[in-house]
Amino acid sequence: MVRHMRYILILPGLITYIFFLIVPLGIMTVMSFFKPVWPGYKVEFTVSNYISYLTSPQFKTMLINTLYTSIGTAFICLVIGFPFAYCYTFKVKSQRAKNYITMFLLAPFLIDWTIRSVAWLSILGEGGVLNSLLLSSGLISKPLKILFTPAALFIIWVQTNLLFMIFPINLALGRLDPEMIDAARVLKAPPHRVIYDIIFKASLPGVICGFIFVFVNTISDYVTPALWAGGMQTLGLSVSTYASQFLWPQASAAGIILLVVCIIVLYILLKIVDIKKLVYE
Amino acid sequence: MKKSDIIAKIYMLIIFIVIYLPTIFLVILSFNDSPKILFPIKQLSMRWYTGQRELWQMNPSYIPIIHDWQFWNAVTNSIRVSGITAVLTCIIVTVTALTMRYRLVGRDILFYLFLLGFITPGALVGLGTVLMFSMLGVSITEWNMIAINTVYASSFGFILMMARFDPELMLYEQTAAALRVDPLRVYLHITLPLIKWEVLSAGIMGFLLSWGELIRNLWVARGTGVVSTFIYTQLTVYPLTTKWFAAGTIMTVVSIVGLLIMAELLSRGAK
Repeated sequence: MVRHMRYILILPGLITYIFFLIVPLGIMTVMSFFKPVWPGYKVEFTVSNYISYLTSPQFKTMLINTLYTSIGTAFICLVIGFPFAYCYTFKVKSQRAKNYITMFLLAPFLIDWTIRSVAWLSILGEGGVLNSLLLSSGLISKPLKILFTPAALFIIWVQTNLLFMIFPINLALGRLDPEMIDAARVLKAPPHRVIYDIIFKASLPGVICGFIFVFVNTISDYVTPALWAGGMQTLGLSVSTYASQFLWPQASAAGIILLVVCIIVLYILLKIVDIKKLVYE
Repeated sequence: MKKSDIIAKIYMLIIFIVIYLPTIFLVILSFNDSPKILFPIKQLSMRWYTGQRELWQMNPSYIPIIHDWQFWNAVTNSIRVSGITAVLTCIIVTVTALTMRYRLVGRDILFYLFLLGFITPGALVGLGTVLMFSMLGVSITEWNMIAINTVYASSFGFILMMARFDPELMLYEQTAAALRVDPLRVYLHITLPLIKWEVLSAGIMGFLLSWGELIRNLWVARGTGVVSTFIYTQLTVYPLTTKWFAAGTIMTVVSIVGLLIMAELLSRGAK
């Protein structure tokens, strides 16, 4: 009876996911094999949407742009976020202080995304604070062009996604007994081995989880590259461009290819460590 | 205080400054009298907050935020959409996470399904939902936005909640069950009190992710939409003015006050 009850309890989540995730994805998969006619589609099987997309001269550029910006952002978030998560887990002793730090980390996320992005204009723009400071100090003679370059994209993405890296690493580190670190130090283990063999290895499920969170958040964001990286062409942007022209089969094919790229990266990451260990093992 | 503790605190402070840097300038510049986003500020004013609405102000970018009823409509819609998403996320995440602790048939498949909810790019979910409803001949409503936000937030909340469960929780439940305590009483008197903060965290996460989501919402937003889609649409049509920095400042103040109250409640609960 209790066993059957457990299966009934997973039904609300399962039904929601089937109806609002699996069915839309299924429709997009089927649609991607339909013949495109403007505006819309004709029910006639074809693989031309995939072939024309994959063989287009822009595809390679879009793929490289998408992967290097998303993986790059996830990597920068890891480098900056890992020490923060370590300090948060082991150096902040009071639970009250931890609660306040968590809430202060969350607060900027309640400010609208677009406003948060345009706020960078006042800092990174040609008439912004950074250029004003550098010009007045005499370090530069003409304003630096940061906005509308990939550098601006990395800065904005790292700022908005850092939290998604810090939280999972904190969770993984929270399971590490601090006495293990002390024991290693008492046994005169060199610092780099304490960091790598104990701290980093224990946090690996959290690192991978955070990497996935940041990677997926950035790979699906086509608005930031279009606005702040000088109209950088990405796979996500191509989905939106096709859809805005009512080219549903091409938009679906581009979307499915984007999902396949995500799944390949996820598969590689899960080969390094199984994040199920963080969850229920 | 040890040297390493001081370095740790300085590092955390630097990261906070980086995270809050755009917010700091947003707040300062919102008091600039000029509509242009420029430094240095020549004249301070509250014009973009509470200034008079002139009849000639047809361009919404120049209407002081207090008079922009469309913005406040979007805020109301956002609170409603994010609030319902938070409640649904809480229910789905709690029920599924508690059940998934047991070795069920298809547990791994369900886990990957939840992961798929997170890794599927927003554009794909949004477009797929639009196509699905167009094929069904059903019009898109606010509930579609709530549903796709719930799927996204539940995936995130599910992983975070399961990772935070007390390892002893199952032991307590099994002990109570061995003593033939009614399952509902076990849930109400043992399970729920021990996981209430995880449930609250899942709700907060659901609210935040739904509030900030732009890509998914852009596809299914209709009418005024929610704050994220409304401001994005306004800025793609009309020029950027200081008015939007005033809107950001109001949201900053409200969210900081709200989250500080939450932090205090959590701290008292932890005692």
